[in-house]
Amino acid sequence: MTNRSAEQGVNPLREGLSTRAVPQPCAIVIFGATGDLTHRKLIPALYNLAADGELPPAVAVVGFARRPKTGDEFRNELGETTKQFSRQEVRDDIWKTFSQSLSYHQSEFEDESGYRSLVKRLDQLDEERGTRGNRLFYFAAAPEQFEPILKNLKAAGLSKAKEGSWARVIIEKPFGRDLASAQELNRVVSNSFSEDQTYRIDHFLGKETAQNILVLRFANAIFEPIWNARYIDHIQITAAETLGVEGRAGYYETAGALRDMVQNHLLQLLCLVAMEAPTDLSADSIRDEKVKVVRSLRRYRPEEITKWVVRSQYTVGAINAEPVPAYREEEKVNPNSETETYVALRLLLDTWRWSEVPIYLRVGKRLPKSATEISVHFKKAPMVLFNRDSAEHDQNVLVIRIQPDEGISLRMMAKIPGTSLRIEPVKMDFHYGTSFGKASPEAYERLLLDAMSGDATLFARRDEVEEAWGFIDTIESAWSNKDAPPLTYYPAGSWGPEEADELLARDGRTWRRL
Amino acid sequence: MFPLRFRHGIPFVAQASSLWGKQASRLRLVSTGVTPVCPTAEDGCTTPLGMTINCMPAPAETISLGLPVAIDRIDRGLKKLWSESEGAMTRASMINLAVYSEEPDSLTQNTQLLARIAENHACRGIVIGANPHSKNDRIEAWISAHCHVGRAGTKQVCSEQISFLLEGAKVKLLPSIVFSQLDSDLPLYLWWQSKFAEPMDPQLWSWIDRLIYDSQTWRDFNAQMRLVETAQREAKQRIVLCDLNWTRLVHFRVAFAQFFDHPSSHHHFREIESGTIVFGKNFRSTAILFIGWLAAQLGWEVRNGKNGDHIELENSTRNRVKIDLQENGDAPIGSFVAHSSDVKFEIALARCGDLLEVSRSKSDQSPARQLLPAGENDSVKLMSEELMRGGQRRVYLRALEKVRDLL
Repeated sequence: MTNRSAEQGVNPLREGLSTRAVPQPCAIVIFGATGDLTHRKLIPALYNLAADGELPPAVAVVGFARRPKTGDEFRNELGETTKQFSRQEVRDDIWKTFSQSLSYHQSEFEDESGYRSLVKRLDQLDEERGTRGNRLFYFAAAPEQFEPILKNLKAAGLSKAKEGSWARVIIEKPFGRDLASAQELNRVVSNSFSEDQTYRIDHFLGKETAQNILVLRFANAIFEPIWNARYIDHIQITAAETLGVEGRAGYYETAGALRDMVQNHLLQLLCLVAMEAPTDLSADSIRDEKVKVVRSLRRYRPEEITKWVVRSQYTVGAINAEPVPAYREEEKVNPNSETETYVALRLLLDTWRWSEVPIYLRVGKRLPKSATEISVHFKKAPMVLFNRDSAEHDQNVLVIRIQPDEGISLRMMAKIPGTSLRIEPVKMDFHYGTSFGKASPEAYERLLLDAMSGDATLFARRDEVEEAWGFIDTIESAWSNKDAPPLTYYPAGSWGPEEADELLARDGRTWRRL
Repeated sequence: MFPLRFRHGIPFVAQASSLWGKQASRLRLVSTGVTPVCPTAEDGCTTPLGMTINCMPAPAETISLGLPVAIDRIDRGLKKLWSESEGAMTRASMINLAVYSEEPDSLTQNTQLLARIAENHACRGIVIGANPHSKNDRIEAWISAHCHVGRAGTKQVCSEQISFLLEGAKVKLLPSIVFSQLDSDLPLYLWWQSKFAEPMDPQLWSWIDRLIYDSQTWRDFNAQMRLVETAQREAKQRIVLCDLNWTRLVHFRVAFAQFFDHPSSHHHFREIESGTIVFGKNFRSTAILFIGWLAAQLGWEVRNGKNGDHIELENSTRNRVKIDLQENGDAPIGSFVAHSSDVKFEIALARCGDLLEVSRSKSDQSPARQLLPAGENDSVKLMSEELMRGGQRRVYLRALEKVRDLL
């Protein structure tokens, strides 16, 4: 044991029962509790954790929002939406117990008195539900509300935990819209919360397959020796979706695909694929290695942007045989909008491992199918013996499918049965859904649990975010110049503009067929 | 008789029939939701708090062993099974799961269990029904596959099963039968449902990665454990011992452990003075293992209690801890209550059996209650739990050492 474990603050009764840090009792305060994120993701995630027995008993959830509402109304609304969006069926008995932990606190975000009464409510919850002074503040409100909320939390003394307790803040993306605004946001956050109290959520990192990238690379001896420029020809990262802006036009018009997806999700995936092995599995060891990848991204010179970055917007077309309008015809979109709904980039990392290995990223809306994946294309075997008439398909390709149909496949060459020597590519395929019957938890479940446990591994650190914006800013600023390359167009339901194909064709490569 | 069995719906009737011509197919329709299955079908369930939960009756199932096949044609038979199948099917396998039983009719029962286990744990199933006392020397084999629609909902995921009936002297062929049917490179888990008997075949044990058994069924715990330990010693590799009686305790252990996750509650470890554990008929050993776990993890020593209604232990500060044992009801563990100087920790099984109600209360305060999953005392659920956990069993072995004399 045991006694020693207890002296070190470790619960000896947990030995062998759980390999993860145990979440601690706490009060979770959700700012923007009447919004979509709370209804669709956060409360269903918390309910699922409760149903699986993962949520500590002493957890209380306080919804903080402007709309007048009673606690019962709040709980009833959440009950309805949880039934709709929960990963597993909602059981009345579990919901009844879980919903007792939900309460509503009505206040304007700018109203100091609302935070003073929040203090009293949280103290009361410490007494009644045993939340032990631990506070987790979840910012599900609009980014422009962050500053008043942070200031008022600080003024009310809520950003500083009592002795033996903790206070943490979870911030949803976007973490700014460029480097300057990200730095400003970080400055504002750091006025109230220190970096180790700050959890910047990127739900891509909560996905099982994203977490599996490090396991694949560092728990298997066969990959790491060939995971470098000597054996890898290039890497492609694709995030394709069939959806359009779906009611997010207001935000999307100010962001575009580069800010919305590349700055965060795609660069995070790139970090996991390209990082060096961390010295240990602590949050900072892993994040130290990730930030080095972003730092090593070769910055484009302004004149290179036209050549290596393609921006495009969808026009009228069809998805699954259903006609869909052009982006400019979508509701709340400026009919003359120059916002990109598709981006393709060619990146280089200036490191020993990745010297001159091109990494191609593409992200787009209204593409023929929804799929997020990383494909690692290995160099061809020498063109002697079997590969004299080598075609592009002769490359070995390792594909990590992030979503949907999570899994890993490896393409290799095999002889076709028969007396003649014909060689064709074959695929070895591993599907999570086939091999493991149990469904993975939703990304938000894992991330909420991690925040309650104090494990920041899957959250973005300040320097990662700022470095990523520094890189993105060079592209955005080139696009805002008078002599910027013109926006290109692609029909909805196609795989993007011709210019994106040319981006790879110049290097003698093509996009992987999804 | 049908070698491919499908789950989750009618559309597969046609495929099963077309695959095996005129052979009749009977599909098993089983609830896949979370509605609890009632202990008796007639009514709902009640938690200790009085909440009512609606239940549904468990469906009856019938199952066959599959296609009879000659021993030397098993591989060929399996290949044929796949070559003649229609539709999108994937054969999946993460482990070799061999199940051995000497009970009459165990082949059918274990096929039924394996069909359900394979839904969450794709495996190569090797089901062995043995009758070593038979005067006839006989060996028969069948092949089949358990198919269900995967999570993605488009493809059927199938696990193969090979069944053997061994009688008389043929039972001695067990190792060679198991070895010749393994899916290569995958670990071998052996679920031994019978009593262990001498001589233990070292050739068999040397191939096993995990040995699964249920000590709850043992009449002479120490004699059985000695045989298991002998086998373990003789094996050239380390066998992980997986006792389903220990697995039964997982949810109770989690429920009790969570009271002490915050370091400020650790002083209670020294202050627990007494406890009461309620166990079901034939589950005394389960209750004693629970006490063994507390003793091992909290540094307690057993002072006396063999065959009595209570066990006396001494904690690390040499204070006495008295645990009462009460037999009541059918559930393996019905409840556990522990008292420290000023706090009562309580875990009780809800009547429907799939939830635990846990509460922590001080004498001057109303208790904070919570519901947690209870797990079920059902072979499939226990095996699923066991197969999911992996890892070594150090805590089990420590717990066992503490209470070995009481079992």
